[in-house]
Amino acid sequence: MEIKSTAMAGTLESSDIQITISSNKSGIQIDLNSDVAKIFGKQIKKVIIESLNALEIKNAKVKAVDQGALDCVIRARTLAAAQRATHTAEEPEWEVF
Amino acid sequence: MGYEQDVKRVNLKNPYYLKKWENLLQKVDIQVSTEVSIDDITCVGVFEADQLIATGSFQENILKYIAVDPTYHDGKLFNLIISTLISTLAQQQIFHIFVFTKPIYQMSFEFVGFKTLVKTDVGVLLETGDTAITDYLATIPRIANQKNCKISAIVMNANPFTLGHRYLVEEASKSSDLVYIFVVKQDVSLFKTTERFHLVQVGVSDLSNVRVVSGDEYMVSYATFPTYFIPDKTNIIRYQTEMDATLFKQKIAKPLHIKTRYLGEEPFSKTTEVYNETLKRILPPEVQVEIIPRLKINTQIISATKVRKAIQQNQIETIKDFLPNSTYNYIRDHLKILQNSIKEGMNIDGN
Amino acid sequence: MREERLRRTMMFVPGNNPAMIKDAGIYGADSIMFDLEDAVSLAEKDAARFLISEAIKTQDYGEAELVVRVNGQDTPYYHNDVLAMVKAGIEVIRLPKVESAEMIKQLEQDTLVAEKKFGKEIGSTHLMAAIESAKGVLNAPEIATASSRMIGIALSAEDYTTDMKTHRYPDGAELEFARNMILHAARAAGIAAFDTVFTNMDDVEGFYRETRYIHQLGFDGKSLVNPRQIPMVNEVYAPTKTEIEKARDVIFAIEEAHAKGSGVISMNGQMVDKPVVLRAQRVMRLAVASNLIDKEGNYLGK
Repeated sequence: MEIKSTAMAGTLESSDIQITISSNKSGIQIDLNSDVAKIFGKQIKKVIIESLNALEIKNAKVKAVDQGALDCVIRARTLAAAQRATHTAEEPEWEVF
Repeated sequence: MGYEQDVKRVNLKNPYYLKKWENLLQKVDIQVSTEVSIDDITCVGVFEADQLIATGSFQENILKYIAVDPTYHDGKLFNLIISTLISTLAQQQIFHIFVFTKPIYQMSFEFVGFKTLVKTDVGVLLETGDTAITDYLATIPRIANQKNCKISAIVMNANPFTLGHRYLVEEASKSSDLVYIFVVKQDVSLFKTTERFHLVQVGVSDLSNVRVVSGDEYMVSYATFPTYFIPDKTNIIRYQTEMDATLFKQKIAKPLHIKTRYLGEEPFSKTTEVYNETLKRILPPEVQVEIIPRLKINTQIISATKVRKAIQQNQIETIKDFLPNSTYNYIRDHLKILQNSIKEGMNIDGN
Repeated sequence: MREERLRRTMMFVPGNNPAMIKDAGIYGADSIMFDLEDAVSLAEKDAARFLISEAIKTQDYGEAELVVRVNGQDTPYYHNDVLAMVKAGIEVIRLPKVESAEMIKQLEQDTLVAEKKFGKEIGSTHLMAAIESAKGVLNAPEIATASSRMIGIALSAEDYTTDMKTHRYPDGAELEFARNMILHAARAAGIAAFDTVFTNMDDVEGFYRETRYIHQLGFDGKSLVNPRQIPMVNEVYAPTKTEIEKARDVIFAIEEAHAKGSGVISMNGQMVDKPVVLRAQRVMRLAVASNLIDKEGNYLGK
């Protein structure tokens, strides 16, 4: 799927992650901001990339501001932001749920 | 469930809330600048019992008046406020956000994803969102071996582009390998941003070493220098001009290898005069400042302000000599629209 | 008859709050109700749906029964809520603002479609109704029996009292009819009855008073907005030492009868009938849940 416009999901509150997805010329580029980036940065990015792959998003710029989110939250926020950015929030991609 | 706090919209037109808001800002030593109308800002807050314990606002894409009652010194309220402001802006499709804040809050903003653009003694300017200054710089055209060339820059609002501007560009062009013209992006002038940009482009199209680019949000914008657009607010413009000048020096001139910035001499606008003084103080030695005297036609100094006044008074023939044909023709063809805009309250006395 | 489980506490968890969703399992609520409706702003409905869905699929909430309150059938969110929650494998869907059996039948149909679409076991998704209006209260009996998937009905007093042109009072007199109606509808249908939330967290005495009252009426339990209320409800629902001892005697008599191969259970020369057995089993379940007895059934005291 193509990113049609920038979109965001999630908050800056504890245990959440704020994900902003915008278009990118080629590939997936992640800018991660996290207290625990040194230890969990790889894992967080992995979950984001897997979630984008599930929606077949190949090109996207992702800004992630983590507040200690669990993997399931990272996935939920990435999927929500991605569906908003691809203008498909009203017709969810059921395979990824 | 648990300790939960609600963020509410705060109606500052209601004196009851305004008082609480002012009290909280006073507590954390934030001045409400008198030229900001409460009508123009969107304010949110967290109340405990009847007390406002945290607040934040935005005007366009700029966060303002962020305050958390010092007795609640955990970061939770701060994050909650910033998060709410960002989400509210996101719903309006605004993602690129700036904040100008005191140096002590720099870390708090960096913890929630903001990146510092520039820091001076009095404040820090940070940005966050779907684009950043690095993305902006990547869009600026460059020439081969730019590093070793003589690169100059002019930042102009060009409201509208006159022969005075043209003269400044020619002077820079003569002694440079490449001249960037950064056109101010903020759309608050009589001539719309697209019009100003277009008239500059057409007006310098014959000069092959000149590139006209947008100054985006990084040069003389609401984020870097909000009072530029308001006449004669000399006191508060000092720190803003320092911010704008330092940002230009560190984040624009350095990566683009700009070695000279050309300025027009400023006999009329106090704001621009202060700005020029600050640029002279801050940019050298890395960036030289060249001040070019104003061009005179028949002993009259050319100024865009005079052009706007003539539009208002329906006497555009009197300023024909001030303008390149392209600008004059444009004004002639759009005279009614421009005059209506002035009638509807567009300020023409500022910059 | 459906296996009866303890439903003393149904804790509301705002559907778009990761911190609360993460911690929802640690308070020992009998049921956890994730809320996609009132606790989620319109702009966040899609995000909350993803969040709850991922949490249900990945988080361990122990023994708690997992419930989701979907958005009402008159909203554009309802269909996607039902689809997403069935796909995620939710145990119970709670439909708000139920006024008729037709609404439950519609939900039953939509749930069935979703189960088929996602290859879920047919009938595995249970339903419950929240009654929030005069009409809903009057139709409670037919609502309670509208589907074999129904496990309970709940009173939601905020909207109900507004509909009745009143508001909530400390003595609860304004809810008397609705509570009894819902309770009778539930008992007649053999499903659970949940009382409404008590929102004033500062009025601890008032909360105890209301909980004792609905316990006396016979409600299975209460909807809660704050985990601090869970031990308070459990305390009210905890059986007394005498009740436990009596129940243990009944259970002993049952086991003895089974051992003898006898179909007739007697105790102290009297026949023990079904209601007594059911009550004894319920008391023992409560006693275990309240940590009042050990594995052997010995009373531990409070």
